Amino acid sequence: MLLAIIGLMMGVFLGLYLPITYPATYSLYISVGILAAIDSVFGAIRSVLEDRFNTEIFVSGFFGNAILAGFLAYIGDRLGVPLYYAAIFAFGGRLFQNFAIIRRYLLERLRSKKVS
Amino acid sequence: MQNLLKLFNKAGDEGETMKSTYQKIIFALMLCILSFVTILQFRNVVEDYSFVSLKNIEDLQTAINQEREGIKDLKELITSNQARLEEYNSALRAEGSIQDVLKSEIDNMKLISGFQDVEGPGITIILQDSDRELYEGEDPNDLVIHDGDILIILNSLKVAGAEAIAINGQRVLNTSEIKCTGPTITINNHTYGQPFIIKAIGDPETLDAAIKAPGSYAEYLREVYGLKVESYVSPLMNITRYKGSVNMKNITAKEGD
Repeated sequence: MLLAIIGLMMGVFLGLYLPITYPATYSLYISVGILAAIDSVFGAIRSVLEDRFNTEIFVSGFFGNAILAGFLAYIGDRLGVPLYYAAIFAFGGRLFQNFAIIRRYLLERLRSKKVS
Repeated sequence: MQNLLKLFNKAGDEGETMKSTYQKIIFALMLCILSFVTILQFRNVVEDYSFVSLKNIEDLQTAINQEREGIKDLKELITSNQARLEEYNSALRAEGSIQDVLKSEIDNMKLISGFQDVEGPGITIILQDSDRELYEGEDPNDLVIHDGDILIILNSLKVAGAEAIAINGQRVLNTSEIKCTGPTITINNHTYGQPFIIKAIGDPETLDAAIKAPGSYAEYLREVYGLKVESYVSPLMNITRYKGSVNMKNITAKEGD
């Protein structure tokens, strides 16, 4: 847990202070990719709570989903169809679902701890 | 929050999986990448504020340019109106009447709109049907001057800076129609057969070039269809005024102008 928070902080610092920029045209694709990555992280938290966490699945899903989502957005732009909606709905929906499950697990644990 | 952290830790400790430091490091690394990209995106989006497509930018730029043109025109209008006001005022001061100014303005308007006989250097163009033999199977229409030909030549004269144009003596106004009526052409409700004589006042050399230049429409008529297109430059020519009357039914002057 501590390691995760340290990683998060490190990413924030790197993002704030590294002088990296990219063309604004790609901003949409990266946004969709970020959504996919957040979904992967939530999925990982859930799997940890369910004792089913698998590093390979997590890492491959993290990058694969992000790249696929960005690519989908790009193709959609080229074709003139907003295909990134597919990524937004799929990952957004699953994100909330995962969060709901995580909440349930945590609340159950809290309750069981109180009882015991 | 502390409770939640503990819960997470507990989950990690209790679980069979999230045990090894390796997995924790991987997880932290992923979070690091995620937050890094997110922050980058934040910065980028804040800098540019929103996602704008290239086409949008182009549209906006043309819109801005158009607005600028409009502003320029309006400013010119203001200065010209101010000059006119000044003129009126000085006339009022000098003679106590603005009649002269109004009269000269009316004369100017007449000159511009074609209600005044005008003279100046210009060009005469004579358009005639061809008298060559038809090729076998050729459409006889190819040998005839059409209303469209006249229209295009008229336009190229205007492009070349013609200031007054008359066709067979009919002054071309801004409302003048050029209509196909069989082998004849109707202009200002008067019908004329060929030859069609177009007179235009303007810079004679430019006007002549507009008719004679290779690639011009008149040249095309002459060379490809074999129609008779002749042009004569003259240093001084007359164009009579429009002799009919103009009845406008639909337009009224806009208030406040």
